[in-house]
Amino acid sequence: MTLSDEYTVEEALRWNEKLGGKVTILSLGPETWKEQIRRALAMGATDALLLSDPAFADLDVLGAARAVAAAIAKLGDVDLVIGGRNSTDDESGAFGPALARALGWPQLTYVGKIAELDEGGKRIVAERHLEEQIETVESRLPAVVTVVKDINEPRYPSLLRIKRVAKIDIPVWGAAELGLSAEAPSAGITARVPPPPRAKGEIIQGADAAEKVRTLVDKLVESQVI
Amino acid sequence: MSNEIWVLIEKARHADNIAAISRELLGKGRELADTNGGTLAALVLGSNVGGLAERAFAYGADKAYVVDDAALAQYTTDGFVGAAAALAKQYAPALILTGSTFQMRDFSAALAADLGAGLAIDATNITIDGDQISAKRPSHGGNVINTLVFESARPAVVAARKQVFLEAPEQAGRSGELVQAAMPGVEIRTKVTNVAAKQGAVNLADAAIIVSGGRGLGSPENYFKLIPPLAEALGGAYGASRAIVDAGWIPYEHQVGQTGKTVSPKLYMAVGISGAIQHLAGMRTSRTIVAINKDPDAPIFRVASYGVVGDASEIVPLLTEEIKLRANR
Repeated sequence: MTLSDEYTVEEALRWNEKLGGKVTILSLGPETWKEQIRRALAMGATDALLLSDPAFADLDVLGAARAVAAAIAKLGDVDLVIGGRNSTDDESGAFGPALARALGWPQLTYVGKIAELDEGGKRIVAERHLEEQIETVESRLPAVVTVVKDINEPRYPSLLRIKRVAKIDIPVWGAAELGLSAEAPSAGITARVPPPPRAKGEIIQGADAAEKVRTLVDKLVESQVI
Repeated sequence: MSNEIWVLIEKARHADNIAAISRELLGKGRELADTNGGTLAALVLGSNVGGLAERAFAYGADKAYVVDDAALAQYTTDGFVGAAAALAKQYAPALILTGSTFQMRDFSAALAADLGAGLAIDATNITIDGDQISAKRPSHGGNVINTLVFESARPAVVAARKQVFLEAPEQAGRSGELVQAAMPGVEIRTKVTNVAAKQGAVNLADAAIIVSGGRGLGSPENYFKLIPPLAEALGGAYGASRAIVDAGWIPYEHQVGQTGKTVSPKLYMAVGISGAIQHLAGMRTSRTIVAINKDPDAPIFRVASYGVVGDASEIVPLLTEEIKLRANR
């Protein structure tokens, strides 16, 4: 699990401890991800489901969101979906919004605090931590929430729990179970390359610090950087 | 399908103008429209946004679609995406450009999902070649640059990184075609009940110059003695490496890097920062990088445009003085 997943699971567990119900770990990826899911179960989640199918390999973020939305619709009776603000590979932050739109649910992204969660009244109040401001937002449930780093302090799973979940059979659904047909991603990726190397830089020489500083400032002024 | 390029216009926070990112996107949009025979249009969504369309015309837009409605007084996904999607369905633009702040990521991803469109977030380049739109975007902490090609998905929704495109020049008196549209009947399911300034917020993404400090400075006292004054002399903001944020020298708001902010200023100065991969991921696209470090083998020198090997405690005060001196000349 990434750190972002740990914040996500922790937040779900805390509200589950207050309100009861189920915490289902849902992930889309290869079978090897069962180990990560087990870690979340060891933290205290009650249920798990892996979406895995060779047909999912080429899904882009919008396609993945549609697949996960189909699974959530099939699970039924879900009040809240919590995810990380973005994945550590794609880094776009698009999955949460795309999932919310696919489900037809409201979205609250970049949440740094869930202030109220009332599953009876179907209402959530949360703080969205944006670059320069904190927005307090109220929404109905069900909703999709994405959380930021430091929303909580994730717990460590106990050894006892790690042992207990080691043998749990994690169900796997493929495209057929979800009633999805293979779909082409909306964009083809034609290149994945390392960033171009930066032009070779220059080490500023000088007899002492004062001379180095003058030379540096000369160069910054000449090249119109300052 | 029209050959229109749309730019979602944001209002400048502290001035009566459109935001810098909007001027940058109009600059790039103008170039794309000119080379492909297209039309550049501003998309203005908000409440009491009179004047923004005219500002967009002055910065190169040929046309402006405006939805001015009390329902858009605050950003909500339902309101903004609902308004934009209705216009996009009616006028079928080829490309929609936005910034890539958190709010704009929330918007662009939801819009692309609603329209079944192509999506690229945090793009650092956009090209149009005949019928083909493509965008470059970094992933995996800046270590991979992906080229996304939108063959048939239209519109392509592209959220661009700040400060990678040149701002459009202002042309006073330039005008364009204004299209006023009504707010569509969408249900807005979220309600913003309060907006508070973030304590100690630093808008590193907007800063043209950033001076960052790291563990090489030795102590938080040294950081505060050296880094903010240099940043102030340069008219910039100050940032930090993850190491000193984790050590509690300075709040997370200042952190540059993969788990902090990704920045691309005109000038980035790294003082006492060794240049861990996770830091480089957040600043390697800066236009000019200056590194000051006493270890000549520090990896930061490999990305630096100018490197100074030496003791920051000695160099930085001299540098701050020299910059103040020249500014007054």
